[in-house]
Amino acid sequence: MIFNSLTFLVFFGCVMALHYAPFFSWHQKKINLLIASYLFYAAWNPPFVILLWISTVVDWWAAQWMVRAKRERTRKAWMLTSVAVNLGMLGYFKYGGFLLQNFVEIAGSLGIIYHPPGWDIVLPVGISFYTFATLSYTLDVYLRRSKPAGSFLNYALFVTFFPHLVAGPIMRPTELVPQFEEPRQAKPNQIFFGLALLTLGLFQKVVLADGFLAPVVEAVYDAHDKVPGMLDSWVATLAFAGQIFCDFAGYSTSAIGIALCLGFAMPDNFRFPYGAVGFSDFWRRWHITLSSWLRDYLYIPLGGNRRGQGRTYMALMGTMLLGGLWHGANWTFVVWGGLHGLYLSAERWLRSRFKGFTPGRLSMIGLALLTFLLVNITWVFFRAKTFAGAGVVLTGMAGMQARPDPLIAVGPMIIAMLIVSAIFGTHLAMRNTTLEAVVERTPTVAIAGIWTILLFAVIVEQGQGSAFIYFAF
Amino acid sequence: MPSSISRSDVHQAEVRGVREGALPAGLRQTASNRPGQAQPVPTRDIPLRPWVRMGTFVFCAVTLMTVVWEWNARTNLGLRAGDIDDSPQAWAEARRAADHAPVAIIGDSRILFDTDQERFEQLTGVRPVQVAHVGTDARALLEHFANDSNFHGLLIVGMADTMYFGMPAIGLAGNAVHNYEKNGKPSQLTGLWLDRWLQNYLAFMDADYRLSRWAPRFDNGWRKGADSPYEDVWKISESFPGRQYFMWDRILTDPYLRGHARHAWDGFKGPNIPPALANKVIARSAEAVRRIRSRGGDVIFIRPPSAPQLRVNEQKRIPRELGWDRLLIGANAKGIHADDLPRAQKLVLPEWSHLSHKCATVFTDAYVRRLVELTARLKLRPNGPPALDRRDCVPAAQAGVTSSAAFRAPL
Repeated sequence: MIFNSLTFLVFFGCVMALHYAPFFSWHQKKINLLIASYLFYAAWNPPFVILLWISTVVDWWAAQWMVRAKRERTRKAWMLTSVAVNLGMLGYFKYGGFLLQNFVEIAGSLGIIYHPPGWDIVLPVGISFYTFATLSYTLDVYLRRSKPAGSFLNYALFVTFFPHLVAGPIMRPTELVPQFEEPRQAKPNQIFFGLALLTLGLFQKVVLADGFLAPVVEAVYDAHDKVPGMLDSWVATLAFAGQIFCDFAGYSTSAIGIALCLGFAMPDNFRFPYGAVGFSDFWRRWHITLSSWLRDYLYIPLGGNRRGQGRTYMALMGTMLLGGLWHGANWTFVVWGGLHGLYLSAERWLRSRFKGFTPGRLSMIGLALLTFLLVNITWVFFRAKTFAGAGVVLTGMAGMQARPDPLIAVGPMIIAMLIVSAIFGTHLAMRNTTLEAVVERTPTVAIAGIWTILLFAVIVEQGQGSAFIYFAF
Repeated sequence: MPSSISRSDVHQAEVRGVREGALPAGLRQTASNRPGQAQPVPTRDIPLRPWVRMGTFVFCAVTLMTVVWEWNARTNLGLRAGDIDDSPQAWAEARRAADHAPVAIIGDSRILFDTDQERFEQLTGVRPVQVAHVGTDARALLEHFANDSNFHGLLIVGMADTMYFGMPAIGLAGNAVHNYEKNGKPSQLTGLWLDRWLQNYLAFMDADYRLSRWAPRFDNGWRKGADSPYEDVWKISESFPGRQYFMWDRILTDPYLRGHARHAWDGFKGPNIPPALANKVIARSAEAVRRIRSRGGDVIFIRPPSAPQLRVNEQKRIPRELGWDRLLIGANAKGIHADDLPRAQKLVLPEWSHLSHKCATVFTDAYVRRLVELTARLKLRPNGPPALDRRDCVPAAQAGVTSSAAFRAPL
């Protein structure tokens, strides 16, 4: 189920009632949470719960046997077993069709005509997220960064804990398992602040992303047989920048709020990313739990920045290309990742060349704006379903369409640009602070008023229970 | 010593994870600040604010605002509780029900609005399953049934000629068919039930009056060529259990909304439909009909009425003799054309394309009485209600102004 659904409201009410019922022990409450999390996942497609079980059991035992192993080779074999099972499931469900399609095309280019049977496999929701979460468990144990969890229940709950299960934040076992080891009761302030965060997340998703921004994006990116001009292409791409942020950050904020209501702490996943100055700064602010995962388990093992300049650039590009592929089984995502890899490499080179450069206030704003614009170029490949589609929009953005069609009406365009400007301005203004610090400085009346407006807007917008974009990843 | 995830090795302050009072900027670190190490329990700081009091205020204020909004929806917007939004899940539910139904209806919005299921049942004892879809042609649905080995009943195919013969894309029904298998998940079913339950009590829950739908309507077509919100089809219907659509009363009483609805149809103008395209559609339809019949099912086509203001363009784009008449011959199928139902002439079509609620009942009465003559699968109940005609739905005062004259094709 999804957070922006009536089903979830009922589900969450039941979970809260069970979690705060006085007659359950902490052990029973954890079992309740585990069952609730399986129900949460099974609400999409019950048979796929089996994948969760496989992932949970394999990684639990792999870590156990890794610790008991006396020889390094045995430890490595268990680690590789875990990696193979997890990536195998991910590869089969997410990339099987993509690999087959590419194989057919390569064979075709060599004159070999091959007609495989249709690859009609349903992608299990959130498989990329929980695969990475469980992988970090065995990898941390293998790398001797942490010991295995002391209890199977705690570990299983870490894997399935519903707030983070399907779209992150991608949690590490060291972040969550210890929280299950002692009874957790949120204080009233914590519960209400959690509800405020849930409201903010739903507002971002239901009102901004789905309600006002998505139609503007679709008017251009899903237009058939029509060619967008410069204005439409830029507006749609900027609107998508707003949509993808509100969609994904909205989910993360909701997840953090829900966990807080239950007494658990989850990490930040976004830190005002459109206020970033440069791309390394951007990736410290955008999908933080994924970028840090890729850094810890891919970039550093690939050599990181400790094996010379050339190796660093290769590790950077490799990480970003694979990071792009993680988002979806399509070459457009790979190009999206590759562009970010290029940006990061160029920035690294510039930093080494202009070591003493310290930007002033205006330069910072200019660089933030430049970063934002360049990020928007990458969003074209993220949103367009094909390279041809991306080419049409990029040509439009460059003002090179000979006879463009007007695609976006003035009303939705004005509203979308007001929203995106507000997002960009907010991120720029808050790039060095946190939401919590700002809330603490703001008068109570203003906070209550804003909270009221956000919640009322969510109710009036109603929503249609559309899935979060990142569920497909 | 590696960090651990077992209780004894973890610092209690970290385990707590929640801190009262906002941390100073820069102190709340994330995994991006800790490369290559096990990440500790995150800390979430709670701003020092009276959250309980604020939450109570928000609850009361939002409740009050929602009550006012509901009152506004009922009194000013003319919405009412019990008008249940249609949805892809609701369509999928109906489609599943149609699998083993004796009678199912497919088609576009005309047959959807113009069929009164209650009247159908009163006359025949059979309640049809309504699987028609707005904004589409019936072809995708017809083929979906043709490919469905479960269906052995009578399929009523409603059509607006220009949509059926000329629509290049398969419209919204194509999406419905494409997503059919995906729209039966447990969470979607519970969502559908809860949504329907709430809509029985709350009038403001109407997809056409969502914030993002009506807010951009200030744009009255300012950018020439762009599809402005004014060009969209706004709310013209109410829907009830069983996907029973009827014309929204406000379209009859509100000249602005009625005028807008007529504007949205743009007179059904468009290029003439090439005979080759129509013939292709007929050939595919004939094949679908053949497959349904080969399993023991049957197909009857119905062409609901449209007002002369639209009909003149529809007839120009695809004349009846090139479309409808040829379809019945090509598919060797029976059909009921609104022009041929004496009791269903000059009915009220407020926005020219769909019948008013009352006239939908009259039209249903007329076409069902003809239907039973065309198929042995349905029979009139001996104790059924008497026949209706135009006088049962056209108020005497409006008889001369709101009804559509019978169409005469230009010579």
